[in-house]
Amino acid sequence: MSEASAGHASGGGLVRLFHVTKSYLPGTHALRDVSLELAKGEFVFLTGPSGAGKSTLMRLMFGAEQPSEGQILVLGRNVARLGPAGLPALRRRIGVVFQDFKLLTRRTVEDNVGVALDVIGVPPRDRKARVFAMLKRVGLHHRRHHLPLTLSGGEQQRLAIARALVGEPELLLADEPTGNLDPQLTLEIMDLIADAAARGTAVFVATHDHALVSRYAKRLVRLEGGGIAHDGAPPR
Amino acid sequence: MSASARLRSAFANTLAGLRGSPVTSAIAAATIGVCLLLTGAFGLLVANMEAILARFGEELHVVAYLEPELEQARLDALMERALAQPGVETVEYVSAEEAADRFRATQPERAVLLEGLEENPLPASVELRLAADQRSGSAVRAVTESLRALPGVAEIGTGNEWIEGYAQAVALIRSVGLAIGAVLALATLLIVANTIRLSIYARRDEIDILRLVGASRTYVAAPFLLEGLIEGLAGGAMGLVLLWSAWSGLAPMLSGGLTLLIGDTTPQFLSLGGCAWLVGAGALLGLAGSAAALLQSRERSQ
Repeated sequence: MSEASAGHASGGGLVRLFHVTKSYLPGTHALRDVSLELAKGEFVFLTGPSGAGKSTLMRLMFGAEQPSEGQILVLGRNVARLGPAGLPALRRRIGVVFQDFKLLTRRTVEDNVGVALDVIGVPPRDRKARVFAMLKRVGLHHRRHHLPLTLSGGEQQRLAIARALVGEPELLLADEPTGNLDPQLTLEIMDLIADAAARGTAVFVATHDHALVSRYAKRLVRLEGGGIAHDGAPPR
Repeated sequence: MSASARLRSAFANTLAGLRGSPVTSAIAAATIGVCLLLTGAFGLLVANMEAILARFGEELHVVAYLEPELEQARLDALMERALAQPGVETVEYVSAEEAADRFRATQPERAVLLEGLEENPLPASVELRLAADQRSGSAVRAVTESLRALPGVAEIGTGNEWIEGYAQAVALIRSVGLAIGAVLALATLLIVANTIRLSIYARRDEIDILRLVGASRTYVAAPFLLEGLIEGLAGGAMGLVLLWSAWSGLAPMLSGGLTLLIGDTTPQFLSLGGCAWLVGAGALLGLAGSAAALLQSRERSQ
């Protein structure tokens, strides 16, 4: 990990991982001795081959899993030590775009986005306006009364992104957020995410799309075999 | 977000849940309805048996036969002190003439015994009736003992040797009623909890997603609890309607049979309070079933 963490060890990180290891079976490591830090407003890409540990790293950051070793501090909270009320409270400050979208199939597009505002206690009047504005930004405002399963794959992905961003989270974790989008929509969505970063949200995007990395990335973390192979400016 | 806004949001989510799984919700409500029909039917049986026993109980009395020629002032004092005895509800003076009239009316075939006598042989008396909750052998004995000590009382008669049996019958009916009611309530609770657990299982993805976006336990649980409450209310109302329908069909036959056995008797349906209790019990069962199912699902997800 010669380049690992170079220049990213300042004290004000929103996310800090210290020597994190994750094992599902004895003798194997999904992640091995990973240390990294994300600062406020930083836009970081995470790449690596399939099985390198990208999704595991993301899941550890929002507390869906616990590390086998090491410590994870997210927004000042130790993820491993959160109580029953602490984890939901932390997740309310994080926006997550899941690879499989995780949409509420029995609720409308509007409610899928609105639920992220409901859980942070936004009043109904503000909720409606904010949901509409966010749906307009991702081009789904005309489909707000539809159910998610009536949307195309690309529309579902945009809906997942809208839900993750509507609450103006301090940290955005996105696992392949543009995998189902055409090039034009991909750029529009990435501009939206870059805009969130510009407003102070720390963004961590896992992707295989090299074109995206070369267009947007200032910092790239590359995982290989569960460890960090590169952390710094993307190689030209 | 204000409490009313949260409640509105929970109601909206509840209605979405009910609309999303109408068959499961209908099964849960119907299960509660059928269980409450059984519980209600047994409750009706117990209530009517108690009413019949209470009718017998009303005939229970203690009689204090008075000394002859008791002055009015002593009689008044005696009646006042008799009424003051614990457990005594009413006190009635029966003069010697009234006693003779009663004898003639109740036993006309023996009325001839009183004819030709120069003097009425029957003494005046004071009849005491006990409060409903005091109709037991020990209460009768206590009243009898205290009456015996009063001046002006010549003799005490109860003529109610069946009192012990009566009290035991009431206690038995109540105990059996409580035990069977508790078993039925527990069975209903388990069935309802399992039915609602199916509904939670069908929506586990939704629950997982809500947890992933940071929903609090209350936010996740509230729609399911409300759903249980609504299904319970619907089930309670269903049980009441079924019970009333069954009652309407059976009551005339039951009334005829009882009249034949114990005299003019009209079985009664549940009072308004009883009906409210049945529907309320349904709501409570639905709520408790949801809470139990949620606890179980939370334990498994931890």
